[in-house]
Amino acid sequence: MAGGTRLENANPLIFQRSGERLHTANDEDEDVLDPIDDREIFDILHVQSINDPEHPLSLEELNVVEQMRVRVNDQQNTVGVEFTPTIPHCSMATLIGLSIKVKLLRSLPERFKIDVRITPGTHASEDAVNKQLADKERVAAALENSQLLEVVNQCLTSNARTV
Amino acid sequence: MAADSAILVGLVEEFVSGQQDSKAADTATGSLVVLLAFYENRLKDHYVITPHVLQGLKALTKCSVLPPGSAVSILKSLFQDVHVQSLMLAERSCVYNILIQLMESKESELKGLGADFVFGFVQSVDGERDPRNLLLAFQIARKIIRGGYDLGKFTEELFEVTSCYFPIDFSPPPNDPHGITQEELILALRAVLTGTPCFAEFLLPLIIEKLDSDIQSAKLDSLQTLSACASVYEHKELAEFLPGLWASLRREVFQTASEKVESAGLAALTALTACLSRSVLSSDSEDSLNVFLDLVLKDCKHHLCEPDLKLVWPSAKLLQACSSASYRASHKVTAAVMPSLIEQYNSRTQVSSNDSVLLDFSQSLCSIVFSALSESNAGLQITSMHVLTALGQQTGLLVESDVKLAVDHLTRIVLEEEDVTVSTAVVESAGTLARLHPAAFISNMVPQLKGSIFSGGMVTVEPALHQRCVTALAAVSSHPSVVQETTPVLIQVLTSAHTGRSLPLTVEIPQVDRLLLELEELSCTCDHPLSYTSAAKCYAGLVNKWHVGDSIPVSQLFSLLSDPELGSLAADGFSLLMSDSTDILNRGCHADVRIMYRQRFFTENSSKLVQGFNTRKSCYLKALSHILTNLPRQVQITELPALLPLLLEALSCPDQGVQQSTLSCLQPVLLDPPSALITQLEALVGRMLSLITSPSMKVRIASLRCIHALARFPEHEIMPFRARVLRALATPLDDRKRMVRSEAVLARNEWFLLGSPGGR
Repeated sequence: MAGGTRLENANPLIFQRSGERLHTANDEDEDVLDPIDDREIFDILHVQSINDPEHPLSLEELNVVEQMRVRVNDQQNTVGVEFTPTIPHCSMATLIGLSIKVKLLRSLPERFKIDVRITPGTHASEDAVNKQLADKERVAAALENSQLLEVVNQCLTSNARTV
Repeated sequence: MAADSAILVGLVEEFVSGQQDSKAADTATGSLVVLLAFYENRLKDHYVITPHVLQGLKALTKCSVLPPGSAVSILKSLFQDVHVQSLMLAERSCVYNILIQLMESKESELKGLGADFVFGFVQSVDGERDPRNLLLAFQIARKIIRGGYDLGKFTEELFEVTSCYFPIDFSPPPNDPHGITQEELILALRAVLTGTPCFAEFLLPLIIEKLDSDIQSAKLDSLQTLSACASVYEHKELAEFLPGLWASLRREVFQTASEKVESAGLAALTALTACLSRSVLSSDSEDSLNVFLDLVLKDCKHHLCEPDLKLVWPSAKLLQACSSASYRASHKVTAAVMPSLIEQYNSRTQVSSNDSVLLDFSQSLCSIVFSALSESNAGLQITSMHVLTALGQQTGLLVESDVKLAVDHLTRIVLEEEDVTVSTAVVESAGTLARLHPAAFISNMVPQLKGSIFSGGMVTVEPALHQRCVTALAAVSSHPSVVQETTPVLIQVLTSAHTGRSLPLTVEIPQVDRLLLELEELSCTCDHPLSYTSAAKCYAGLVNKWHVGDSIPVSQLFSLLSDPELGSLAADGFSLLMSDSTDILNRGCHADVRIMYRQRFFTENSSKLVQGFNTRKSCYLKALSHILTNLPRQVQITELPALLPLLLEALSCPDQGVQQSTLSCLQPVLLDPPSALITQLEALVGRMLSLITSPSMKVRIASLRCIHALARFPEHEIMPFRARVLRALATPLDDRKRMVRSEAVLARNEWFLLGSPGGR
């Protein structure tokens, strides 16, 4: 429905969580354009997360972080994220997917089309979940739900870098 | 009869050997005299018995107790009564052996004979053909020459009787039992011919004549003989023959058919030049070396400039041969030849034989230069350094090992030579070469000089040596990579010199006025930023130590703030004053840092700042933000309310530097905002949001951080701004710079969580 197909990336990049991305000279050069790349999306999704015992639902805790595959195309304004939920419970998968989607919605320019889906073959109800995540109206409606929003925010709060 | 003679001789020998016994010494003399007289008289007899007589005489001459005068009488009889050349081979040998024996045992007596002895010998030898006898004859001749016998008016005769065999042409018969070689004869004869300068007037024309011969061995022999005699002769012997010799040598090298002849010719040339170089000149005599070299150069030099003719190589070789003879010669030749060669080298870009001429030449030149550098003569060293520099400046001329060797030499000269002119030259040379061959200098010279400077502590190093090392280091810093190596050393030198004698305020620095003037000039006129900055710093250091009161410069600084050109720089100056600079104005440099100086500075001067604000805003603002940034936090908080309007004003100031410093100044304050700030929230938000689209990346980042920090304000205060902020922050999410984007992501997400369930 959303027209998203499987990620073409046959060999996904698994990023190490250790170490921040290093700045290069070009990064500091005003005149050089930095394209949005996979690493940047990856960093958006889990920047220096802290293990916060008050928020047991963080993406770290759910061990989803390591399993994410990210593919961005700056020119074509597309972002694709595939995640592998380790907890087979249906609602958790949806929640995680929603959190990722929300985070990206809040963090990326409007021009991007964001496609979040479960890694094929890792969840029994992946089709259903993918369908939900791809549906804009459903996502918007979900976020109107304050309880759901709360949980999502909690997930994302522990992701935030302390200032 | 023959058998009897043998017995007779045997008896005589027995008798003679018996005479060695000292007991019979007294009777011996008498008997000897009788025997001798007998033998001598027998020489006058029939020729048949002459051989036997000679044998007997030979035996007698072996006697060590021959009475004085007998040697002379024997020889007189011999020379008078015997025609040696009509004797048979063995008898002639006998005669020669007698002569040899007598020369050995009765030298002084023989010398008493004077020139007659020589004459007698000449007559005996004249016409000798047998090689064995010739060897003996040459031996005698050599003894005569070397032994200091008086040749008298028979010099030419002696020469002629020996030189007629020159050049030796001898083929030993097959199965020759005696094993005499041509080489032996050649060498023996050569020893005679070249033995004395008296022969020069005869020998040299002979050599020139024989050089004309077509036979190669004759040429070779002549050239080798020439080399040999040049080592014995003086310039005055050679002088009149030089043109002829040169013509022949030149011909042999130019038109050479054989490598042996060519190399012999070159060796001869070298020997000649060396001989001339040895000459000691008096004030009115002409310099034969110069004359000769002029001759050589006249003929050879122009060939070097025509690289396509085949005379280039021979000319080069001849010149090389000359210059390798002595320093004087190499001096002259290189001075004459190098300029045109180098010019040619430069003008020709294609690889041709010309290049290799210079290259080849330079190899021998290098070796000469290096040995010249090892000499202690100052003038020589200076000249060789000039040559070295010239060579080094031609790319590709010196190989790496030569360059390294050159650097080692230069280093050694810096360390060891005390002569001022030499030091100046070596510094110049090193400077020029370092620019072209930095690597060699970095690996060889710099570490050595550095080691020398810092060895054993500063105090014990001899000042002149220290001075030379430092000067050399400065000179070689003509290439960026070298500068990288030398600068730390030089700075270390300066700092250690500085600490060695600095006490703030109270130390008299010698010639401080002059130093100040030079520093001032350097700061104002020098192009190189590091140099003029450092000079300015030194200047400032000195000036600061002078002034007791510290209020004067500051007010000047303040007044400068209003200057259109300098205002901005003056404002930056405040940053220097207030912040911790590592190389100046800190305690390590004996700056007088009093406690709480920053606070006091601020308190004393803030009113001035606020006052002057209206006239020239941006600079004042800059100064203000510099000062504020460096204040301790507590002071910042206390002073902030008073300055807030200014800071807000600063945010709208078009100067990006001001914006940035204000923002960075504000951000920590925003994290724990005082109430004063909260009242200004509208203004803050508005200003910051406008700055997130600034052309400067740094300003965008700083303002985004501030906006992020704003999210910490009490919720009820900032909620009204949420929607606006979220909308505004959408733009920097797509900023061209990643660093900006990441700040925007953080800020925006934080603002999203505001007032949202599950958020803060």
